[in-house]
Amino acid sequence: MTSTPVIDVERLNLSYGDFHAVKDLTFQVRKGELYALLGTNGAGKTSTLETVEGHRAATSGTVRVFGQSPRDRRSVRPRMGIMLQESGFSPDLTVKESVRMIGTLSRRRDRVERVLDVVDLTHKAGTKVSQLSGGEKRRLDFATAVYGKPELIFLDEPTTGLDIQSRDALWDAVDKLREDGSTIVLTTHYLEEAQARADRVGLMHKGAFHQEGTVAELTRTLPAVIRFSLPAAAPALPLRAARESDGRVLVETFGLQETLYALLDWAHANGLELRELEAGPTRLDDVFRAIGDD
Amino acid sequence: MLSIALGELIQIFRNRLVLVTSFIMPTAVSAYFIRQHEVFADLGSLGYIAAVVVFTVGAFGLYTTTVTTLASRRQNLFLKRLRSTPAGDADILSGLMLPVTVLALVQVVAILVVLASVAGEPANVPLLAAAVLSTVVMMLGLGLATAGLTNSPEHAQVTTLPVSLGTIAVASWVGITGTEELTLVKRLLPGGSATELVLNAWNGGVPVADSLLLLAPTLSWVVVAIALASRLFRWEPRR
Repeated sequence: MTSTPVIDVERLNLSYGDFHAVKDLTFQVRKGELYALLGTNGAGKTSTLETVEGHRAATSGTVRVFGQSPRDRRSVRPRMGIMLQESGFSPDLTVKESVRMIGTLSRRRDRVERVLDVVDLTHKAGTKVSQLSGGEKRRLDFATAVYGKPELIFLDEPTTGLDIQSRDALWDAVDKLREDGSTIVLTTHYLEEAQARADRVGLMHKGAFHQEGTVAELTRTLPAVIRFSLPAAAPALPLRAARESDGRVLVETFGLQETLYALLDWAHANGLELRELEAGPTRLDDVFRAIGDD
Repeated sequence: MLSIALGELIQIFRNRLVLVTSFIMPTAVSAYFIRQHEVFADLGSLGYIAAVVVFTVGAFGLYTTTVTTLASRRQNLFLKRLRSTPAGDADILSGLMLPVTVLALVQVVAILVVLASVAGEPANVPLLAAAVLSTVVMMLGLGLATAGLTNSPEHAQVTTLPVSLGTIAVASWVGITGTEELTLVKRLLPGGSATELVLNAWNGGVPVADSLLLLAPTLSWVVVAIALASRLFRWEPRR
């Protein structure tokens, strides 16, 4: 991976009338990265994404994609594929006709059959878009975005409405595109997908970055959590803990392994069993929930 | 642009409702005028029938279909999809409107050829062609502007009425009463000077140079419509 910025956003501001949707946002996406732009509802991520895609003009600040303005569609768009959050196809065209049309307009070279095979829609090639299920439309969306293996791909909620097999197939296809050098910008409400695949995450809240960095950098700001149940007659714990509403013990720690060792040693020494024991590293979900606590 | 136009053409021929709206209805109405041409000739002239044919197809076959198509493509986010590609805005709009424009022109030419064969040829065919083309461009411009005010295809059933009925009414008024009285008003109304141009081209008797001046109001309406469209047209549904 090189450090060449494919996307360079500096002090981006977006306003709709009196509403300041995006405030002084600055970030870069480097070549080959999978960058996840996440946020709470109304955080401004769709506005940001649409500005970077070139659908919307910035109120102030600069946005460069491949060193050019994304509003310059003729020069920038052939290098990028966009999977919109909603389908946006002509209902009376077939799957094959739709891919061919958008593929031709993309000015990238590819075979419609190959792309349909990637998203497992070959058997639906002659079916009208209006007759597709929601999940099949999402796959069609993905097919048009990856037609011709673009250098930069925007995936806006790519797995919404997909069954687990389709999700896995989509992520396999994304992995292959990344192996070929594509850069991915992802928005999703499935945080486990971002946690598993994102090189870096921009976490937006109220129009600005609440945090930005790798998943490890974001999650290390919050303690890991250990939960278990104890009999009422158990002796005092050797570390600070809290009781949850269901009576379970909650331990928060920045040293998960050491704390677990200490707890298990203490339980063994006292002949106790830590029932319903749960322990795990901090997840993006926890970081998200913490935003609401701020 | 051509790939978008091809897609639109495929859809026109797949959708029966669009076929009825854009093809059968104007043809049926126009066929009625031709069948009753002697009756209408008594009211005004054969040029009047030609003008009503041009504006019937222009209003229902072209203008209404343009507004409905653009509103529909916007509503289902197809316009946004097309704008996600390298295609420019002018290419997108041209591609979307090309098939219906060609269809309208084919309808007008076919009906006028039939009219000429049953009732007599027009006096000046090139002038008639100029009148038809300027009318088509005006209706397209008005369609773009109206599409900016139209949220959905259902909404288009209402928003297209003023222009479609208005231009046909103006064509009938000018065709029946001529432009000797209220000349300026009739020529400045949308479709008024275009109707007079059709009348002059078909009936003859007016110097070509005088007739060509009648293109100016029609082209002015094109400029007004494009200016309105550039302010009003939206590529995405209102949030």
